[in-house]
Amino acid sequence: MNRNDLKVISEKAKEKHKKYKHKICVCCGAGCISSGSEGVLLKLQKEIVERGLQNEVEVIPTGCMGPCNQGPLVKYLPENTIYQKVDCENISQIVQSQIVEKKPIEDLLLFSDFHPKPFINAHDDPFFKKQLKIALKDCGDINPEEVEDYLAYDGYLALGKVLFQMSPEDVIAEIKHSRLRGRGGAGFPTGLKWETVYKYVSEEKYVICNGDEGDPGAFMDRSVLEGNPHRVIEGMAIAGYAVGANKGFAYIRGEYPLAIKRFEQAIKQAKKNGLLGNKILGSEFSFDIEVRIGAGAFVCGEETALIASIEGKRGTPKPRPPFPAESGLRGKPTLINNVETFASIVPILNNGGEWYSEIGTPKSAGTKVFALAGKINYSGLIEVPMGTSLREIVFELGGGIQGGGEFKAAQTGGPSGGCIPAKHLDVKMDYESLMSLGSIMGSGGLIVMDEKSDMVDVARYFMEFCMDESCGKCVPCRVGTKMMHDLLQKIYDGKGTSIDLERLEELAIYVKETSLCGLGASAPNPLQSTLRHFREEYESKIEQDID
Amino acid sequence: MQNITIYIDDKKLEVESGKTILEVCRNNNIEILTMCHLEGVLDVGACRLCLVEIEGVNKLLSACTTKVAANMVIRTSTERIKRYQRITTELLFAERNHMCSVCVANGKCELQNLGYKVEMDSIRYPRLFPQCEVDTSHSWYVLDHNRCIMCTRCVRVCSEVEGAFNWSVKNRGYQVRIISDFNTPWGESTTCTSCGKCLHACPTGALWPKAIVQGQLDKKPEIIEELMAKRKMGL
Ligand SMILES: Cc1cc2nc3c(=O)[nH]c(=O)nc-3n(C[C@H](O)[C@H](O)[C@H](O)COP(=O)(O)O)c2cc1C
Ligand code: SF4
Ligand code: SF4
Ligand code: FES
Repeated sequence: MNRNDLKVISEKAKEKHKKYKHKICVCCGAGCISSGSEGVLLKLQKEIVERGLQNEVEVIPTGCMGPCNQGPLVKYLPENTIYQKVDCENISQIVQSQIVEKKPIEDLLLFSDFHPKPFINAHDDPFFKKQLKIALKDCGDINPEEVEDYLAYDGYLALGKVLFQMSPEDVIAEIKHSRLRGRGGAGFPTGLKWETVYKYVSEEKYVICNGDEGDPGAFMDRSVLEGNPHRVIEGMAIAGYAVGANKGFAYIRGEYPLAIKRFEQAIKQAKKNGLLGNKILGSEFSFDIEVRIGAGAFVCGEETALIASIEGKRGTPKPRPPFPAESGLRGKPTLINNVETFASIVPILNNGGEWYSEIGTPKSAGTKVFALAGKINYSGLIEVPMGTSLREIVFELGGGIQGGGEFKAAQTGGPSGGCIPAKHLDVKMDYESLMSLGSIMGSGGLIVMDEKSDMVDVARYFMEFCMDESCGKCVPCRVGTKMMHDLLQKIYDGKGTSIDLERLEELAIYVKETSLCGLGASAPNPLQSTLRHFREEYESKIEQDID
Repeated sequence: MQNITIYIDDKKLEVESGKTILEVCRNNNIEILTMCHLEGVLDVGACRLCLVEIEGVNKLLSACTTKVAANMVIRTSTERIKRYQRITTELLFAERNHMCSVCVANGKCELQNLGYKVEMDSIRYPRLFPQCEVDTSHSWYVLDHNRCIMCTRCVRVCSEVEGAFNWSVKNRGYQVRIISDFNTPWGESTTCTSCGKCLHACPTGALWPKAIVQGQLDKKPEIIEELMAKRKMGL
């Protein structure tokens, strides 16, 4: 396929969709599948055929729609009506009422168990109203298993534009202009990273997509890979063109079999259609992607450990410098970005860097995907402009605290992050603001805690995670996290002394400053931040001691 | 190689570029504490004893893996660095079972020496006292996990110098252990050539020949460097 064919196919795919009057999407993200959505999909397809509606109604499986806890979700378009907790028994009612009688079913509407008056158009619900989907756009609307569906949504047009109308410098300038920052945790400016890799002269360079996503409770990257794999592939190919790489690797954790399956399938489809491989779309640029499967070590999300793992070695980090941009995979210049970062590339090139840079806050442009979890009414996946306040996320999108409880704190950044107490509910969710409160943006995990949570236990839990996931290479992290964990356990058990607390605080600073990689360097964060905001909880546990 | 100017502890030095901070310090008699570093094999930056402060860099960097750059201002022995060296040493002692008085390496142990260097008069952290194996399956040598500090010098010597790849690492976190082959007893290894280089590379009493008792260990880590130097010359 060359560039003109692409336009033709894209138009054809659009035509194909237009011929249907109704579209029903069944969420087949891992969350909804686990609550039985695949059966719902089959039943629905059968029902449509049995009623002879197959020329009027299109039924497709899609990726994650967001409110995962309410699954299986079924969405009716164009009205954008979402039904929740659908099971096979509901199918004939849905078809009869929605398609034949054109009447929505109130009892099945999304969030009908929370709202006295649920919304017919799901977009009117605060859960969706405040969201702005850029990385997740189309996820939940298209069939991730069909490249034609992606093409019908203008897929690969950005790649075509890049290959034929832009130089690598142009692409980098556009990304720099967008002020996009890496979504893998540290928030490094993406354009700058691309430029650095571009500038190193080498015959061989690599592009790596980091899909290891090991933070407990996080599933942003999984949803993108499952729901819109071609978006990531297109982003990686554009990155390859910009930095001068012909080979890419997608490192996906083994616990995500569905993401791996869909991504590999998408690679095959892209190759078959000339969208990957030799001379893409008839241009001079060739790019290929291979999937590598992670074996479940959190540390393998760290870039140098990930590279070692791809090379077939034990996944342990290496000191930086040299950074992967200079000497990465097989010692060659390597660009490594997060899944969500790659998913943001196509919209930036389609709409311009200027457009993207105006969303969010001055220093943190664009949107961020969060995985909402914990004691909140609507948990699931959301994407909001940077700078949205925590209060809006918890009380508007998230529908407040479960059982009318009281908000105590929210943990961002998982085991590398920290907690935000109630008095800072108005904090803007962007890189700098979170940092100033002693937390981090991280990859997007957001756990909401109510008044019943014990903050010492929270710190202990995350320390245990880091202790178990430490690769064991460097002394501060290997032994330091174990010592800190044991001290935390002792204090939690009511056996701690004020000397223990002192030791704990000294160790925290030491481990942070001396560890080799980010795992150790950020392992003390949950401890330090709970100490900063909830010191009295530690002290109350100690006072009971003889001391 | 071109010469560049750097400053270490307020001393101005003209040095060759391309060298690590550790190499430069050793050439200029500036003391840097090390444990995972071994002349002759690649550096991994694992023990974190050689950390130095560099002006304009907000992280402490390991001297063994960081190359000098023009006009670098380096500090090797600030109060902070010294405090951290002491904590690292204490953690190493607390991690496994280091009973110097009954150890084969007593008096010749790099870990013991480190304790003296950082003036460790006590260990402030609870000792973990893990139950560790002693692998005596090899006909001539012993691997005592109780004394191992996971510096991986044996692993690197075995792969980079001997080319046998007998040693590697299993598990994660504080449960890491050195393993022989695919986690088989050393005596059953199909890769070990019994060359004995790892015994010399090991800084502690974790690897030793069976013929000795307490305090009799005679290690010569410098033979690794000599071997590699000869090899480079084609001898
Ligand atoms: C312990 C540890 C785990 C990490 N895990 C991930 C991960 O799962 N996914 C990810 O994208 N980045 C992870 N990172 C960050 C990566 O090292 C790297 O910074 C990132 O992939 C760069 O992409 P970005 O610039 O697009 O954010 C991790 C870092 C550390 C220290
Ligand atoms: S900080 Fe922890 S995970 Fe990172 S290299 Fe050190 S031991 Fe390994
Ligand atoms: S056995 Fe010796 S050389 Fe090998 S890792 Fe342990 S202490 Fe280091
Ligand atoms: S000698 Fe540099 S980290 Fe061990």
